[in-house]
Amino acid sequence: MIKFHPKDEMLKQHANGQLHLGLATAVSAHCELCSVCRDKLKQYTAAQAEQHLGEQSNDDIQTENVATLGNLSIANIDFSDMLKQITQLAPVEATESQRTIVEVKGTQYALPRALTNQVNHNWSGFGKISRMRLNADENNSRASLLHIDADGEIPEHSHTGREITLLLEGNFEDEFSQYVPGDFIELDANHQHSPKTINGCLCYTVVDAPLHFTKGISKILNPIGELIY
Amino acid sequence: MQNIQSQSHQSRYDKAYVRQNKQTMDDSKSTQLLTELKEQLVKVANQRDKQAYAELFSYFAPKILNFGNQKLSSQGLAMDLVQETMTTVWTKAHLFDADKGSVTTWVFTIMRNRCFDMLRKVQHNKEDTFGDDIWPVFESPQAEEQEDHILTAKMLKHVDALPPLQRQVVKGIYLQELSQQELSTKLSVPLGTIKSRLRLGLVKLRSILEKHYD
Repeated sequence: MIKFHPKDEMLKQHANGQLHLGLATAVSAHCELCSVCRDKLKQYTAAQAEQHLGEQSNDDIQTENVATLGNLSIANIDFSDMLKQITQLAPVEATESQRTIVEVKGTQYALPRALTNQVNHNWSGFGKISRMRLNADENNSRASLLHIDADGEIPEHSHTGREITLLLEGNFEDEFSQYVPGDFIELDANHQHSPKTINGCLCYTVVDAPLHFTKGISKILNPIGELIY
Repeated sequence: MQNIQSQSHQSRYDKAYVRQNKQTMDDSKSTQLLTELKEQLVKVANQRDKQAYAELFSYFAPKILNFGNQKLSSQGLAMDLVQETMTTVWTKAHLFDADKGSVTTWVFTIMRNRCFDMLRKVQHNKEDTFGDDIWPVFESPQAEEQEDHILTAKMLKHVDALPPLQRQVVKGIYLQELSQQELSTKLSVPLGTIKSRLRLGLVKLRSILEKHYD
């Protein structure tokens, strides 16, 4: 059972396309795994569609004056050329969407669709931790695929910003809970945690700012924060 | 949200009485509108009907332009958004699936996805397009079937882990879709035995699933 979900507010922003790439990817991948949020997202999307494209949506444009075909002008813009140009085009077939597979430490993983075209980078890391840095638009935000081998753990750390972890495969646990694939875990600067995994796991992570490792010898590992996330 | 909006329009336009009349007819009118939009889209899909498309165009284009102006703050980019969105409506009309949502939701999804990529291009100078990956619109049904297969395959693995007698009953009921009575006859064991094996099997299955997925 998936126990951790994005907040409704975040789902609404996602429906409206307001989240940045890293977050939008995380929410999308969660919804692919979680039917509850998928249904909610569907409702929010329908509501947004109604707001922007519904009958009532356009009162400040003089729709009454919309002309018919041949002399199509809306709000003083002549759309007839555009219309003519578009209707000369041939239908386009659907492209088969194939799941992208990544391989790390000899195991293959099929990724959520949101990540299909985002994973053309190399893995790096050390020991049981492997990381693939992904493109993120925002300057301070970092998105990665993070793989932890069986019996691996990440030293206790806190975040200077928000950290979102979406568990894609396998299981892990921290001081707060045990997690299953699809769990969408949001932690902020007030939380410290040290995730460990028994059988290994693959996560998608987005952090708004670099991590700080807080405990004893782990402090030496602070540069690792830069590496992992 | 809708209410607040329409109220602000009312005061802005001083047409409150017109609008109130409109409101009472809203429900049936919008249902009718959605049906019309759907019929037009179907004509475009099946017959490449240009007249039907022109009607869709004249309904959606100003609204998309409006949305584009708000989000992209540029008339030129807003026009690009109209062009790209409406091009997709024309070239992919046959991929619209009425079971998955209304025409307005479909067009909104196309528009929102394009707008997401256009915004990234403007703000971050990114040329790549991820919108349709993040909010799949034209997903082939095959991909979804696959997911079910994965789930079924996982489930079957656990069913196979049951003790043989329980496994036989669980598979008989859920995969071959036999009734308990049919199964009892087929296996020549009393109905009560079938019932208890099924119960034991399901309890076991649940504990396996809890262990693996919770």
